[in-house]
Amino acid sequence: MRIPCPYCGARDAHEFAYLGDATVTRPDPAAPDAEDTFFDYVYLRDNPAGPHSEWWYHASGCRQWVRVARDTRTHAILGTELARKPAGDAA
Amino acid sequence: MTHILDTLPLTRLPAPGSYGRTGAPGVTVALREDVAAATLVARRGAGVRLADVVQARFGLTLSDGPRMAGDDALAVLGTGPGRWLTLAQTRPGLAAELASTLDGLAAVTDQSDANILFEINGPRVLDLLAKGATIDLDPEVFRPGDVAVTAIAHVGVTLWRPGEEIAYRALVARSFAPAFARFLIAGGAEYGIGWSRRG
Amino acid sequence: MSRLAKGGLVDRARALSFSFDGKRYSGLAGDTLASALLANDVKLVGRSFKYHRPRGIVSAGPEEPNALVELRAGARREPNTRATVVELHDGLIAASQNRWPSLGFDLLSVNGLVAPFLGAGFYYKTFMWPASFWEKLYEPVIRRAAGLGRAADGNDPDEYEKANAFCDVLVIGAGPAGLMAAREAARAGARVILADEDFLPGGRLNAESHTVGDEAGHAFAARLAAELASNPKVRIMTRTTVFGVYDGGTYGALERVSDHLAEPAPFAPRQRLWRIVAKRAVLAAGATERPIVFGGNDRPGVMAAGAVQAYANRFGVAAGKNLAVFANNDEAWRAAFDAAQAGIAVSAIVDVRETISPALTAEAERRDIRVIAGGQVIGTRGKTLSGIEVRHGGTTEALAIDTLAVSGGWSPNVHLTCHHGGKPIWNADIAAFVPGATPPGLSVAGAARGHFSLSGALRDGVQAGTAAASDLGFATATPEIPIADDAEPAIAAFWHVADSKGPAFVDPQNDVTAKDVGIAFKEGFRSVELLKRYTTLGMATDQGKTSNVTGLAIMAELTGAGISETGTTIFRPPYTPVAIGALAGHHRGKDFRPTRPTPTHEWAAEQGAVFVETGLWLRAQYFPRPGEADWLTTVNREVSAVRASVGLIDVSTFGKIDLQGPDVGAFLDRVYINGFSALAVGKARYGVMLREDGMVMDDGTTARLAPEHYVMTTTTANAAKVYQHLEFCLQVLWPELDVAIASVSEQWAQIALAGPRSRDVLARVVDDSVDVSNEALPYMGAIIGTVMGGIPARLFRLSFSGELGYEIAVPARHGETLARALMAAGAEFGITPYGTEALGVMRIEKGHVSGNELSGQTTARDLGLGRMASTKKDYVGRTMAGRPGLTDPERPTFVGFKPVDGTSRLRAGAHFLKVGAPADTANDEGYMTSVCYSPTLQHWIGLGLLKRGPERIGERVRAYDPVRGGDIEVEVCAPGFVDPDGEKLRG
Repeated sequence: MRIPCPYCGARDAHEFAYLGDATVTRPDPAAPDAEDTFFDYVYLRDNPAGPHSEWWYHASGCRQWVRVARDTRTHAILGTELARKPAGDAA
Repeated sequence: MTHILDTLPLTRLPAPGSYGRTGAPGVTVALREDVAAATLVARRGAGVRLADVVQARFGLTLSDGPRMAGDDALAVLGTGPGRWLTLAQTRPGLAAELASTLDGLAAVTDQSDANILFEINGPRVLDLLAKGATIDLDPEVFRPGDVAVTAIAHVGVTLWRPGEEIAYRALVARSFAPAFARFLIAGGAEYGIGWSRRG
Repeated sequence: MSRLAKGGLVDRARALSFSFDGKRYSGLAGDTLASALLANDVKLVGRSFKYHRPRGIVSAGPEEPNALVELRAGARREPNTRATVVELHDGLIAASQNRWPSLGFDLLSVNGLVAPFLGAGFYYKTFMWPASFWEKLYEPVIRRAAGLGRAADGNDPDEYEKANAFCDVLVIGAGPAGLMAAREAARAGARVILADEDFLPGGRLNAESHTVGDEAGHAFAARLAAELASNPKVRIMTRTTVFGVYDGGTYGALERVSDHLAEPAPFAPRQRLWRIVAKRAVLAAGATERPIVFGGNDRPGVMAAGAVQAYANRFGVAAGKNLAVFANNDEAWRAAFDAAQAGIAVSAIVDVRETISPALTAEAERRDIRVIAGGQVIGTRGKTLSGIEVRHGGTTEALAIDTLAVSGGWSPNVHLTCHHGGKPIWNADIAAFVPGATPPGLSVAGAARGHFSLSGALRDGVQAGTAAASDLGFATATPEIPIADDAEPAIAAFWHVADSKGPAFVDPQNDVTAKDVGIAFKEGFRSVELLKRYTTLGMATDQGKTSNVTGLAIMAELTGAGISETGTTIFRPPYTPVAIGALAGHHRGKDFRPTRPTPTHEWAAEQGAVFVETGLWLRAQYFPRPGEADWLTTVNREVSAVRASVGLIDVSTFGKIDLQGPDVGAFLDRVYINGFSALAVGKARYGVMLREDGMVMDDGTTARLAPEHYVMTTTTANAAKVYQHLEFCLQVLWPELDVAIASVSEQWAQIALAGPRSRDVLARVVDDSVDVSNEALPYMGAIIGTVMGGIPARLFRLSFSGELGYEIAVPARHGETLARALMAAGAEFGITPYGTEALGVMRIEKGHVSGNELSGQTTARDLGLGRMASTKKDYVGRTMAGRPGLTDPERPTFVGFKPVDGTSRLRAGAHFLKVGAPADTANDEGYMTSVCYSPTLQHWIGLGLLKRGPERIGERVRAYDPVRGGDIEVEVCAPGFVDPDGEKLRG
């Protein structure tokens, strides 16, 4: 499988480490229901047959976390973007 | 037949000399340890100012992609978003110089001892690299000044093409350098390898 | 000799000598082993898998089910190679397989007499019970009686390697369609790779006698190949089989670099495994001829019609002297005509069809070949074929012939189209499965798509090549389509002569007969996938290339369901077998993965170190001295030396991460359970980090070198994992934090100095400006200075051993110099290098947790580190660590253990039980994680996790180790066996 890294270009999937679901967001730890929301965040996962948003880490490349849209049925990569925009231009 | 890998050191860099097929070497490899290096990571929000200062003080354009600027005396390679590797051949105080110049704009980390530099040349260099690199190194695709942080034969490598010539530089972590040397010699033996050390 | 007087693409000036079953023969350059054997009238080449029936060459290509031979000798011996694709070379050695004692007389052919018991479902029916019979009886007997070749006995002396290639258009197959596709794509300017498993490009152009324009087919192929070879953007890879289609336009291919040589050229590999990344691919893999199933169809001399044709046209070999053809299609007639043209006597063409194209019958008449329309072959005779029985018009007739050329039609080589799950579709018009959905970027052209005529293949290839190039944005001109002298051949589906004489083989390689398919049907199997597994049809090394369609067609006849509905089994990679050696390449033995030496490796080797692999690293495990009886003696000496005076160990393998920026303190507070933002500059602190589920991920010390500059250490094992985790936190969780991290693991060599004299030694290597006194560098202090005359250094006062200790970091190139300098400085104190074993002993004595305890199933509380956890801040894992199940006081918790009798050996992995309690899981109270012999205490000690452990100090429990027969009583104690109050390390 080849993954188009937004920084490095198309790379072999071996260069990446897979984490999984990128649709979940770390909950507010101060919220009163934090224990429940964290339980869902840590354990509850959808398993869609089709497009899925996933975290892949470009371990052998630019060491960026990349949000990869992948079709779980075909492994087709529908798009990629960096988790964090470059340090940038502001200020 | 004893394979060439069985004759190479596992934990040291191979001695200078010729390896594999005799005659004119298809690939030549020169090792350097005398190159000062430092990583440069832009502070959040300071990218533009950092680029300006680097341009003004060192005459180098910080690329926002995997490209290099500069030359052997002082080069800067894009290795990630807001992240560069600076290399200098005759500047032992590189990290300190950068740190004082770029204070507040970038985090500077000395890496002068972290890597071994391999200069890889010769008519069969692309055939050899193809045995490990899973990126397209066709000269029309991987152009002069292009940089790739990648893995070759399970070894992390920062690879770049300094100029028009079909010749490459590879920066490899110190502890992985013997394994990388084994890859180069095992893969290049059929072309003949000329091995040397500089600096 | 059956070499024809003229013709063929072999080099008649270059004779090659080879041997088969010890007998010497002569062939020609350009031969395959099969063509050379046929040229030498060798017709019997092997025995079948189960029944040991005599078998001969059937095909002229990779589909060969019968002619499997052992190639080469000694350690280079390779079983199950197909003689039909083995390129002949001078000195080639081959042997038949699965026969005993000889090919001509095989005792185990009596298996054929018990064939009724070896039929469909044999494995499932016969070997059900008792289980013990498997090892003692069934397996050895089957292994003796059934099977194919023998693997080599020695290590393979040859090398294999891997390589990567990239292109715009990959063309798979260099037959007419492939050559045209490659030419069009290349002419448009695309980077093209043209791969073909054969050593000669051209495919069926070389096997048939068509003309293209006014050129012979093979000459046309050679001219096109030359044109392509002269284009620098084209790479022609012969002897290269594309065996699999993977994700993202990645293709696996095997190049047989040296298989056609007696042995590889110096430094050249035998085979090279290619990973080809192609933006587009054209599959032009051609088609495979199918047999017709009838009684006695496996007799040597019964061959594929197209193979007879290939041997005549390409190799200049007469497959026999007297030929008949049995077919259901027009193509086979051309094979008959080509054989006749080559001078082989053709007695008859038996075609199951009543109505044949008048052009064909006229040509047969012109050549004086008898035509038996509406005929069927119902039996054969002879050890090698001497005659057939033909039924036609209500009569049967015997024909004396030595070769029967059979054709049941052609099956497109759709295999690669299935690799992403595409299902082939039945096309009744051509009686063949054609590709269904294809992998992204792959199109199919020529016979592989069911265009069996040469004109059709050429046209299809042109179109596929043009489409691929134009798809990629290359400008394509109006292509020129060469004209060939043929039309699409007609066929009438016909599979099986139902009432014929003798076993009728569907899959000759696995000895599966039409009757077996019938049995499977009677026993209720309908699905082709189950049919395959129950009968083993198509499961041999040829993966049913010739038998698959015939087998399912027979099943479809039985069920009445029709072929389309019955469907076909799915083809998976690899298309043809790939040696494991090729998949490994150079990554075998010590090169299976990289070996990382530490900065002091050479010095340690000089000191006589025994090394141990820890992950990729090689670390000094212990340093034996002459006269020491075993490793334990050595380790005891090393520990005692450190505790008495001073020792040193390379700890460079720890992960080291530089953190800079205004938000580092806040960031560390969020990744560690304890606080770091308030850590003073010049100080280090031990930290524990959790996973978000509340379990401990890693531990280590982090020092603050400057207000906005920290350096973290991780365990050796988790260095990469922690770095990745920190990047996740910074890039995904808290992108607003201004923190820059960089791995400095390789930049700094780090040596730990431990023991009561370590300060004395350190003082001698630091430069004058550096004060290492207890006041200037107190416990957990961290300072920057220089050593050995100006070498920059980071000095940390840390201790893993429980002794006064330091860690000294210097730029990696100076690591070895530092080790030597410390040895010199410590000589008068008897400084002792120690290894990872002694390090482990001392940390157990001190009661520190390590990898055995950080198992991914332990919380900070479990490890006795719960009090470190801050309650004033959030950090990764905090919420989940607070779950009742993880704070349950009943959880096994970290404590120490010693044997009650003071002498027994402890065993890690032993489970704790209350004394007197039955040894079952209900009474399990935890387990021993780490043990060692403590030279300091002079008995075994252990660390472990015990229910309510800290409340049970002084209690006796049972340490039960059924695996190694251990069952002793141990006393629970506090985990610090040495210097529990930390006086030494603060001293």
